[in-house]
Amino acid sequence: MPKTLESTELHEQTVLDSPWVTLVWNDPVNLMSYVSYVFRSYFGFSRDEADRRMLQVHNDGRAVVATGSREEMERHVEAMHDFGLWATLQKADA
Amino acid sequence: MTPFSKTPDGTLVVGFSAAESDIVADLAAQIAGMLAPLASAPGSDPLYDLVGIGGRSSIDADPAIARLLPDAYGDDSEAASDFRALTERSLASRKVANARVVIATLERGGADVELNPAEAQSWLRTLSDIRLTIAARLGIESDGDEGATDSDAAVALHDLYDWLAFVTESLLDALED
Repeated sequence: MPKTLESTELHEQTVLDSPWVTLVWNDPVNLMSYVSYVFRSYFGFSRDEADRRMLQVHNDGRAVVATGSREEMERHVEAMHDFGLWATLQKADA
Repeated sequence: MTPFSKTPDGTLVVGFSAAESDIVADLAAQIAGMLAPLASAPGSDPLYDLVGIGGRSSIDADPAIARLLPDAYGDDSEAASDFRALTERSLASRKVANARVVIATLERGGADVELNPAEAQSWLRTLSDIRLTIAARLGIESDGDEGATDSDAAVALHDLYDWLAFVTESLLDALED
């Protein structure tokens, strides 16, 4: 029985934690083909999905590329900075 | 330049003239030179160095460096400072290492430069870092900005910026071939 209780607590914790997002922002330098390649090679998006988010960055100025824990989003942002993409993280509801 | 192609074993091959090779190596060396002082601060704690922490807490005043090492939190300056202190030096170190891979692969090559997949990834990242730096120097800040064209040097830098885009496209095409 304690096992059940534990997993319930874990579940509540996950639900109550407000998620974080990784945003990629538009820049005038990086090529659209490069941004799409980064989204496919790093996040594993299909070509259609990567192109959709790349175009969202280009047209709307930014796009959410990942959602999850703060630590995960920090890793993604660092990886985007490695590629030279302009990325930030913030709370999903901010 | 003979554009990038991929051999059956995944090697990426490009042909540069001696002048082109020198230019790319020189630009990569400039990136490495610009970021190396931020990758390891003199007199810092070697234990902190080992794990890559102990860095600065605010964004660089130089727009090129600020673009290469941007804030990770756009809406929380305190979190951005804390995260920078923990991660900036390792980010700068990785960028310096990528630039040095570009230089080493150019020095190794004869007429053709051959890259394994990991080296090609360093090339992609360094090409982006170089173009971001040139854009910052030319004042290209948003879509449609032409940037400075008021001197021969600026015009030459524009040509280089466009040529490096062609090199990047060529490498991407070969990678996805």
